[in-house]
Amino acid sequence: MQKEPQAEKKIILVGNPNVGKSVVFNSLTGSYTTVSNYPGTSVEVSRGHCQIDSENFLVLDTPGMYSLLPITEEERVARRILLEESPHVVLHVIDARNLERMLPMTLQLIEAGLPVVVLVNIMDEAERIGMQIDIPLLQEKLQVPVVGGAMGRGKRGLAEVREAIGQYRVGKATFTYASDLEKDIQKISALLLGDYILARRSLTLMLLQRDDEIAQRVRDREGDRYAGVESAVNDTIFARRVDLHLRISLERKRICKGLLDGVVTQRSGQQPALVDRFSAWTMNPWTGVPLLLLVLYFGLYQFVGGFGAGTIVDFLEGTVFEEFLNPWVIGLCEKYIPWYWLNELLVGEYGLFTLGVRYAFAIILPIVGTFFIAFAVIEDSGYFPRLAMLVDRVFKKIGLNGRAVIPMVLGFGCDTMATVVTRTLESSRERIIATLLLALAIPCSAQMGVILGLLSGVPGALVVWLACMIGVFLLVGLLAAQVVPGERPMFYMEIPPMRMPQLQNVLVKTLTRMQWYFMEIFPLFMIASVLLWAGKLTGALQWLVEAFNPVMRLLGLPHEASAAFIFGFFRRDFGAAGLYDLQTEGLLDPVQLTVAAVTLTLFVPCVAQFLVMQKERGWRTSLVIFFLVTGLAFSVGWALNRFLLMTGILA
Amino acid sequence: MKCSFCEHELTPAMLREKGCGVCIGGCRKIHCPYCGQENPLVPESLEKLLRREKSGD
Repeated sequence: MQKEPQAEKKIILVGNPNVGKSVVFNSLTGSYTTVSNYPGTSVEVSRGHCQIDSENFLVLDTPGMYSLLPITEEERVARRILLEESPHVVLHVIDARNLERMLPMTLQLIEAGLPVVVLVNIMDEAERIGMQIDIPLLQEKLQVPVVGGAMGRGKRGLAEVREAIGQYRVGKATFTYASDLEKDIQKISALLLGDYILARRSLTLMLLQRDDEIAQRVRDREGDRYAGVESAVNDTIFARRVDLHLRISLERKRICKGLLDGVVTQRSGQQPALVDRFSAWTMNPWTGVPLLLLVLYFGLYQFVGGFGAGTIVDFLEGTVFEEFLNPWVIGLCEKYIPWYWLNELLVGEYGLFTLGVRYAFAIILPIVGTFFIAFAVIEDSGYFPRLAMLVDRVFKKIGLNGRAVIPMVLGFGCDTMATVVTRTLESSRERIIATLLLALAIPCSAQMGVILGLLSGVPGALVVWLACMIGVFLLVGLLAAQVVPGERPMFYMEIPPMRMPQLQNVLVKTLTRMQWYFMEIFPLFMIASVLLWAGKLTGALQWLVEAFNPVMRLLGLPHEASAAFIFGFFRRDFGAAGLYDLQTEGLLDPVQLTVAAVTLTLFVPCVAQFLVMQKERGWRTSLVIFFLVTGLAFSVGWALNRFLLMTGILA
Repeated sequence: MKCSFCEHELTPAMLREKGCGVCIGGCRKIHCPYCGQENPLVPESLEKLLRREKSGD
């Protein structure tokens, strides 16, 4: 009788992206490997073979994953491999420099009852920056084999990894969560009676974190009993009244901190790196707020306002367009185009060239370009997540919830996308407040750039504008938090390391952003020019301007400012460019300019944002927000005008 | 490519994902699935140029 060939034992490599998994895979398997899509997906999985102690193993290199709870298709595939391939060993590769960020997944793997071997990779780099990692102590605490290595350099640790795989013995570590959570875990685990690859404790935690795929697997295994499991899970989630997903993640963080106690030490005599101290300063309110003001002053006020909106706009607008391009193009049109209407369309007051092209290239381009440079430098340094943590701490002091900080900070890039991001917030209350604040008081990068450029030439105007924005934001946020009832969940986010911005990154991001920004605004500017031109010829614009006159009078603005507000309905930055024109023509004094800028900033930013608001929150909520924001914008403008005139500030 | 906000790795599969359809002229951003940050999608021409520079051609 022929003996059935025994299936090869499997080694599955898992870990975050960029921890050296592929190097480990190649070191284990040599050059004979295959890469193919995982069945039913477009995600690639590498397979190879190795021999340890005369035994053959199949090695699978999974796509990068950050957690057992998948978010992306890659993570789903990686988890499916763990669930379906019955591994002999799961080799978890982690980066020695970021143990605190990576250990929560190690915990998840061990909790799941998987046969884990941990490879603490990139030890050479960690040692170079003064870190000392006590591998035996970590192994003792985790109760699974732990190997230190540097696979990129001389395959350090490869022999130990092979030995750990060859002699694998299952450990029995249990990590204890807070007592209330433990009770919940035990209660639900006891209801799981089916046959599972993963440990029941781990499945329970994933059920409590609302993992749909795991819920489906449990349903399949439990059959009729599933209704009882589902009901127990729902009751627990309801009874706890907190975001259990976040709670469990925070508990894991706490356990990891305890595990790392004594495991990682900084070499004696070495202070924490300057970059780590600086990182801590940026998140501490006492040092973080002054640092934020410095970033705003040098990064935005001086660079964008002074250099972009001052020096470059003066040159492009005042010299290139006013002295050379405009006279030449106008001359050409007057010479060769006999029709008044066509002349007006091309080079008239609202002409495609004299308004649309000039605004786009002479005013918006330099301001937005310099803003995007500053934005990319700040972004590339890793400052934004720290800003989110800083703002969260300030928010908490005034009773606002912190998790909405992420869309708020993202809103400084693009309000429209940030409005989409509000869907990630847990409660409807949070989503409505965040959408309202985004529409009202968070100017997007382009709008902020143009407003900064506009106000930087008037001493004090920017301070008044900033005070108004912060005041309105806090007041409306506080009121909305009172009016819209609901829970106030916790906020937590991973803080990536700070780093020196790379020139190439900054340039690529700036160029890319400028390209998509122009692709987006240029057609709008052209359409707006055509509509304004048609309005002028038909008299509709004059009628609209007259209709706006009472509002302008209430705001203390000249009637010419109506046109800028009509521009602002298309996009706030287009309106701000209109104000720039009025200012250079001497039609606005400092008070009027500030009032106009504040009113315009508080407007709903652009047509796209309104459309997204409608899509995300529905017609009723979005219309209420639109009218509320418009009413508030003009009310604040009116009040500010009265206040500035009464006090003589900016006079 | 890494997300410029949370530093999670953005993979080729995410680049293939369809945009939300709001932007005029198509999507030129990658929406990070972990934090929501909209990362600029580097135009192909610029990427080619960078690759050429890296390889020293």
